[in-house]
Amino acid sequence: MSRYFLIALAAGLILAGSPGASAHHSFAMYDPSVTVRLDGTVKEFQWTNPHALIWVIGVTKPGEAPTLWTIELPTSPGNLSRLGWTKHSLSPGDRVVVELNPLRDGQHGGSFRKMTMVLTGQVLLVNLRDQPKTEASK
Amino acid sequence: MRFACLAFMACLALGRPVAWAATGTIDTPPKAADWAAIAKLPDWSGTWTPNITDQDRRIETDPTPWTPTVARQVAAMQAEEKAGHPRGLFVNCLPQGMPSWMLISHNALEILFSPGRVTLLGESDGNRLRRIYTDGRGHPADPDPSFHGHSIGHWEGDTLVVDTVGVLPQTIIALDEAVGVPNDGDLHVIERLHLAKPDILVDDLQIMAPHVLRAPWKTSRIYYRQRARKYEIEEGVCLQGSFSNGTDREGHASFVPVPQMDGNSKPQ
Repeated sequence: MSRYFLIALAAGLILAGSPGASAHHSFAMYDPSVTVRLDGTVKEFQWTNPHALIWVIGVTKPGEAPTLWTIELPTSPGNLSRLGWTKHSLSPGDRVVVELNPLRDGQHGGSFRKMTMVLTGQVLLVNLRDQPKTEASK
Repeated sequence: MRFACLAFMACLALGRPVAWAATGTIDTPPKAADWAAIAKLPDWSGTWTPNITDQDRRIETDPTPWTPTVARQVAAMQAEEKAGHPRGLFVNCLPQGMPSWMLISHNALEILFSPGRVTLLGESDGNRLRRIYTDGRGHPADPDPSFHGHSIGHWEGDTLVVDTVGVLPQTIIALDEAVGVPNDGDLHVIERLHLAKPDILVDDLQIMAPHVLRAPWKTSRIYYRQRARKYEIEEGVCLQGSFSNGTDREGHASFVPVPQMDGNSKPQ
């Protein structure tokens, strides 16, 4: 599947901030009332259970020295596949703008809210609760 | 065998699962009629995805009858989670087990029928598997405790009734990934699985945990049938997330541990 085909995904992001958003642990260590905008470059995309991870080197303010952020997707490759993601959705070197809910303790980690691919304008989202009830199985 | 099955059904009707001897043959060779009988069972094929919104709602509509002491512990956990300090109940990557797999998982499952047996296979956890024996056997007299326990089942029309005992006392009764307590032993779960609509499977659970619940907890969970290719079950090895891809001293592909914090990769 072409990565450019991906993601005419669900609108609305009610996921972050819901206790029990993941299959593995609560996301309450992230602050849903704060959204950080991280402008940077993908270092690595880890497509593994229980949660896929993205490492991005970037800045949250103009003029800031770039730092490495660990961004956690709220679910597993199985569920992400159903939402249109693949292991090829991101590659090292991709320029991205990420919106994330940061860790409450100030470390450079966060839970994924939204990502825009700078080159194509493509928007990546994750909303597990928007999965369809039963897809047409004709 | 027929007599044993009748006795088994009678005992189940009385609410007393039978305990059979630990010796003797249990897995007899299936005959053509046993395979043919499977064709008469309801169609539970496909992949089943949990209704997560309903999971959330049930916490309010089907309140858990915790003992007073446990209720205070649960309230404290809920307060801690709300304050942004969640207790990571499953960050060690051990299986959620029974009954939490059925209660809180956000991942898909599939259900296989074979002679004398219904098997539930889940996604995530690494070893998410329930064997439900429908051949009339009883529970072992003294089962070795396990995360998913020992399950026996029988069909009442198109409803599969499952009786589970032998669950490890450490296995958690969870409301979500940060709120729940170990069952502390003597857990007994009775489930009635049935299709509510052609593509909606319902699991009506009755959870008895005398050390942490003051009464049986009755609740239900809903699953949607999926047949599209993208719902094919994915392998889910929880511990894989604790490693990144690297190479060893000889240049072979290998897993390199990633520093962890709260069950996920620690920011660097």
